[in-house]
Amino acid sequence: MAGTANSLNPESQAAAHAARQTELRKRSSGRLMIFGFLSPTLAILLFMVAYPIFSLIYYSFFNFSALRQATMKPVGFNNYKFLLSDPDLWERFIFTGKFVFICVTLQMLIGIFVGYQMQKNFRGRDVIFTLLMMPMMLSPVVVGFLWRYMLNSEWGVINFLVSSAGFAKVDWLGQTNPALWAAAAADTWMWTPFIVLLATAAFRGIPETIYEAAEVDGASPAYRFFRITLPMSAPVLFIALILRLIDSFKQYDLFVALTGGGPGSSTETVSFSVAKTAFSYFYTGEASALAVILLVIIIGLSMILVRHLTKMGEKY
Amino acid sequence: MAEITLKNLSVRFGAFNAVDDVSLTVKNGEFVVYLGPSGCGKTTTLRCIAGLVKASSGDVLFDGVRVNELSASERNIAMVFQFVSLYPHLSIKENIVFPLKARGVAKAQIARKLDWVTEIFKLGDELARYPSALPPGARQKVALARAVIREPAVLLLDEPLSAIDEQFREEMRWELGHLQRQLGVTTIYVTHDQREAMSLADRIVLMNNSRIVQVSEPDRMFFEPIDVFAGQFIGSPSMNLIDLAPVEGGLKLGDGDVTLTALRDRLPAWALSSKRPLKLGVRPLNVHLTDDADGVAIPVDDVFSVGRERFFSFRIGDTIHQGVDKRRSPSSSGGSVHFDPAGLLFFDAATGRRVDAEVAA
Amino acid sequence: MTHSKTSSIDLATRWLVLGLLALYTVYNVGPIFWLLLSSFKGRMDFFTMPPKLFFTPDLSGYQAVFGVGAAKDSASAVGVFDSLVNSVIVSVAGTSLAVFFGTLAGYVCSRFNFIGKGDFMFFVLSTRMLPPVAVLVFYHLMFARLGLADTRTGLVLVSIFANVGLATWIMKGFFDGVPKEVEQIAIVNGYTRMYAFLKLVLPMVKGGIAATAGFCFIFAWNEFAFASILTTTQAKTLPVKISAASGATGIEWTQICAAGVVLIIPVLIFFYLIRKHLLMGMTFGVLGRR
Repeated sequence: MAGTANSLNPESQAAAHAARQTELRKRSSGRLMIFGFLSPTLAILLFMVAYPIFSLIYYSFFNFSALRQATMKPVGFNNYKFLLSDPDLWERFIFTGKFVFICVTLQMLIGIFVGYQMQKNFRGRDVIFTLLMMPMMLSPVVVGFLWRYMLNSEWGVINFLVSSAGFAKVDWLGQTNPALWAAAAADTWMWTPFIVLLATAAFRGIPETIYEAAEVDGASPAYRFFRITLPMSAPVLFIALILRLIDSFKQYDLFVALTGGGPGSSTETVSFSVAKTAFSYFYTGEASALAVILLVIIIGLSMILVRHLTKMGEKY
Repeated sequence: MAEITLKNLSVRFGAFNAVDDVSLTVKNGEFVVYLGPSGCGKTTTLRCIAGLVKASSGDVLFDGVRVNELSASERNIAMVFQFVSLYPHLSIKENIVFPLKARGVAKAQIARKLDWVTEIFKLGDELARYPSALPPGARQKVALARAVIREPAVLLLDEPLSAIDEQFREEMRWELGHLQRQLGVTTIYVTHDQREAMSLADRIVLMNNSRIVQVSEPDRMFFEPIDVFAGQFIGSPSMNLIDLAPVEGGLKLGDGDVTLTALRDRLPAWALSSKRPLKLGVRPLNVHLTDDADGVAIPVDDVFSVGRERFFSFRIGDTIHQGVDKRRSPSSSGGSVHFDPAGLLFFDAATGRRVDAEVAA
Repeated sequence: MTHSKTSSIDLATRWLVLGLLALYTVYNVGPIFWLLLSSFKGRMDFFTMPPKLFFTPDLSGYQAVFGVGAAKDSASAVGVFDSLVNSVIVSVAGTSLAVFFGTLAGYVCSRFNFIGKGDFMFFVLSTRMLPPVAVLVFYHLMFARLGLADTRTGLVLVSIFANVGLATWIMKGFFDGVPKEVEQIAIVNGYTRMYAFLKLVLPMVKGGIAATAGFCFIFAWNEFAFASILTTTQAKTLPVKISAASGATGIEWTQICAAGVVLIIPVLIFFYLIRKHLLMGMTFGVLGRR
């Protein structure tokens, strides 16, 4: 800025020269800043991502166990072939898919509804807001244990409430479908606050005059919500959706504490299977192949979603 | 089209009286401008008419029907806001037809009306674009089109031009006046810019400190301001205000040593004989440079010219006053100033209200 | 007539909304209440049916977590306090460094255009999306080779890795909210870009830094997957330790609940202090252009 202002002055060639020098120095200092400021982040991410991912890809073509590192046999695509033809793995994907779908749907619906109420100003809003955020602040392991304890068929408080309401007690964690819903309830309990947080922030970002204009234009509250509020906060809500989609897809901690993957292996997510294959059975090669499949799905999914998000941002 | 009546309208925010006991009738098809400094209550009055703010007491009537309890969407009004309030996620076309769609108007009719406003505002090329692609002036035009498309009973405009570049603002102002006459819609316009008010209004409502100061046609507002505030708020440069003190054979000006003896025979008799202390209001347009004997011997401080006009300042006591000489005769090199006797306004020094022959009598 | 009808519908809607909100609040707060209540229940009261609302509080869970009182020497309590200390060290160090690096990267991403910026931003975000278990398969091998296995340093490294991407994105959003003129004016006045960043821009995003730190802290403090596999004895964090509290004597429920309460308190305080900034930062600068 200073450079151009100075060089407009025809009388001071020297000043213009000096300004150009400054400009150059500034540009190179800018480059230095870009490099200096980005390199720690880039370094740590590359270090922490590159090694394990290259190892994953490499070892996924071997019959290899981390316990016996000496015996390593190249098997080509056999690990992949085996996994993809294993009906058990498809079961894991179907279970994970169901879990993701239930969780994300519930969390988005409840989160947007509660967030819409929370954007309004009322007395005690900050305290209530903070209280509502509490489940998100807990460790997923604690959440898992807490729900396991509440869902216990004998002495859990939920079955107590169910039976006092006159229904038969449910063996929540001992059967596949109730366990799926129980896990979804726990995940939704924990992560809906996150959607509430993002939705509230997005809704509050819409200027008041926009709402007033819509009201004057004769839009009913429902019309305003669907035609103004939702589309205007769509980019943020979409980010929330992406994060929840991916996070619930890779959910692991919760199941460790809540169901331990059981009954049988019916509530194992794909992540859970990777961990079990790698750290219980130590089939490192096979686990690598499974992890690669998981990575491809997640990275592919997030690339599509992020591209859609960028497109959304370009419009206005 | 509608007639709007405000009956003893008050709006309180906590202990603060934003609008205090305002009564007014806006006639069918009239263009009324609320004018006043910021914080005077003009915008709150407008928002109260719109239904965006609740009246604390008093009534708002549309064609004689009380509408206090109706929400903004239930009153047949349209509004343009100070800061751009287009829907950023909708195209210009979708923005304009929004009020019709929100009310479930039939598609064919929406298309017809869209053609109509597109024609009026010459927006044909912009329809497919998004608000962020337009300059602020064009955005306000779209906002206006969105307001007009529904053919509302009342058009409310809240400083619609203040966020626009000076150059484009002039142009929009003329267009707006033309449009209002063409549509004949009852219009209430809020501004703090007296020039906008003077050029657009059928009637000006001047507000200060949450109350109405004066309601009248622009010309009368200019020539017969009700008090010092009205006199000084209207007109640019602002009206000079000079203390008068009766002395032997005339009136002494300010705390200086100048008397109006030279104008003595042209001053109204009642003013010379007035018992109450007065202030003299004289607009810069009514102060000229002169060499003549009938001038008042006040030394001129500073002069600069713009085209044929000469702007100058003069000093009475410690106070600097302004004048504008439009005649620019080379003879009047300007040793002293002359007050145009027809342009002299007198105000009661105590109450600030203007006094004339009848009041003084 | 029509008027009164709309308002009765409005009233019904309002009651419906309030009812749903109340229902959600019970779902949301109920388990927290139950956690708090249960953390004071001794072995006897814990399994009683119907559950007791009033009982003699038993502090053994808290004693075990803080390593004090009678319960500190019980078999299940050994090392629990050490794991709390580990948790504090790892999450504070990890959060600080992640926020520090993320602030620098976020600033550059907000202010400069450089080749591959879009790819960099996506790469940064994608690390947030990586399933921990996938990278973990080889972390323990890598950590063993580097001597980082079962060390706090190793966990700090993981914690930075897990949070720096999110920190970069959130901080970019906050920097986007600071007008570019701030630096331009400073540079015109002869200050360096670095000076403008340190002395002018950084103070303007103080709230944003606090919010980012809050968020990263929640994740670092509660992190389980990495810590559970990369630690064996020395560096165990509290979430890992309590998950192992299901030893020979069965699950130590009271201890788990007490640990849960202890785990949530710092986050709660932190969150309440930064709630305003958190709301602003959570739009990731996506709505910033308005």
